[in-house]
Amino acid sequence: MVQSKKQKYLFLAFCLIPTFLLFAVFTLYPLFSGLYYSFFDWSGSSQNKEFIGFANYIKLVKDAIIPNTIMHDYFLVVTKVIGIMILALFFAVALTQLKIKEAPFYRIVFFFPNIMSVVVIGILWTFIYNPSLGLINSGLEFIGLESLAKPWLGDETWALPSLVLPSIWAGIGLFMLMLIGGISNISKSYYEAAEIDGASEWQQFWKVTLPLIWPQIKISILYIVITTLNGSFIIVQVMTGGGPNNATHVMGSYLYQQAFVQYNFGYGATIGVMILILSLLTVLILQFFMRRDKVEY
Amino acid sequence: MKRSVGQILGRAGIRIPLILWTIAVLYPIFWMFLGSFKSNAEIYRNPWGFPESFSLDNFVTAWTNYNIDTSVFNSLIVTVIGTVLTLVLAIPTAYAIERIQFRGSKALFLLYISAMMIPMVLGWIPLFFLLARLNLLDNIYGLAIVYAVSQLPFTIFVLTSFISTIPKSLEESAAMDGMSPYMVLWKIITPLSMSGIITVTIMNAIQFWNEYFMALIFLNTSSNYTLALAIDFISSEAQYTNAWGTLFASLVIAIIPVIVLYAIFQRRIAKGLTEGAIKG
Repeated sequence: MVQSKKQKYLFLAFCLIPTFLLFAVFTLYPLFSGLYYSFFDWSGSSQNKEFIGFANYIKLVKDAIIPNTIMHDYFLVVTKVIGIMILALFFAVALTQLKIKEAPFYRIVFFFPNIMSVVVIGILWTFIYNPSLGLINSGLEFIGLESLAKPWLGDETWALPSLVLPSIWAGIGLFMLMLIGGISNISKSYYEAAEIDGASEWQQFWKVTLPLIWPQIKISILYIVITTLNGSFIIVQVMTGGGPNNATHVMGSYLYQQAFVQYNFGYGATIGVMILILSLLTVLILQFFMRRDKVEY
Repeated sequence: MKRSVGQILGRAGIRIPLILWTIAVLYPIFWMFLGSFKSNAEIYRNPWGFPESFSLDNFVTAWTNYNIDTSVFNSLIVTVIGTVLTLVLAIPTAYAIERIQFRGSKALFLLYISAMMIPMVLGWIPLFFLLARLNLLDNIYGLAIVYAVSQLPFTIFVLTSFISTIPKSLEESAAMDGMSPYMVLWKIITPLSMSGIITVTIMNAIQFWNEYFMALIFLNTSSNYTLALAIDFISSEAQYTNAWGTLFASLVIAIIPVIVLYAIFQRRIAKGLTEGAIKG
């Protein structure tokens, strides 16, 4: 392009600087100052901000609720990965390989919960679990299993597992579509060759489909892990608020409670640093274990 | 090739889980619509069936007694300002990163992209005090700015890949004709990447319309509540007032715009979300 250097830099500045400034102020600065806050004892008013070194971190290690919140987060990660991946893979294979006429209908329906607000999903499911009116207890009663009916979200043992179902319900569609994208990129000739060699449909699935969509599976798992560790607290907040008796607190909802309900902002920031470190570590470790040579036939 | 009886049965059998999951997805949503027409007494009597009559009382109550009208308006403002601001900020940056050679363009792109993987919850505490200092706390315009910046990484990511598909020759010939780079960006790049712009705008709009947690932290007066907060408030009140019908009506109000957008742009939304996730 015909233009002077000065003009080019002016244009670059016009394109980049306003955006970067806002990004720096509203994203980078808060993240770094979150790290900084974690070394203070601070209830929010400016007078009472006291530097206390690593005291918040020591408190974190000694806090009996913290290990539970971490366990709860990883419980959600593991159950969601297993539940979503099995169902999404099953639906993706069924909708691509089996030549079902109404496949687009299923695709459209299964994806819809992905764009529903967590508030709507959470409230809907809170009602589904409602002890007296809810669908689950009514259903159990209907088939004669009243003994299994319980106040799902009010039960310390069952509250956390009860949060898995809505998360799977809301998550499947996206990952199903990602896997469908992978499957439809596989050349038909592989299946034809496999069929000539006498491979059954199961064998074709294990030997052809699965290895060839490994990249999509890997991305899906990573994505579920990241979004759960960084965002599981939203559905927790809507459905149980961390209760009963802290039985469903995850790291993020505990941070919210410490910082914005009890005004321990310094300690809240420390929990935030822990979330950041755990989530980055988990992703790194996962990427290492899921490394697998790209399959080409 | 002949198919055995077992295979034919297998084909029929495969539909059973598909149909069951369809019911699992649609029934709660239908039921929410049905519940919004029932009186509270009827909800207790017959929580999961059809309403006796289709009364709009719940909608009227939600709209007038629970300030849903204000919340709808607030959500609209946040969504519109948020999406427009995201575009204004993201289009020039996406263009510069994709098409103009400068030192550090790769690093800048990586910086934006990696922000998608960082848990923002850590930043929300300082952001809370920053907004307070800027007088933007408990302010829907402040929230709109926060929303816009939070979707910048995703938007820049999608737009750079769209802009990269535009042939370079178009810009070059325009520049030959003496068009300034500002005009190239405005008159050539923006219209040609309209498809990508529409996709990200719909995605961002749904995101902002649905968002709950940042609104919970950054807003606290009920007259500033967005729809998600207002519904959450009605829901926690319903534990005591049992105003379930009103709650369902407000859920329906919240979900209808999303259903309409999905009905029109189903393909775009599905494509946008999967591509956004694949960034990895």
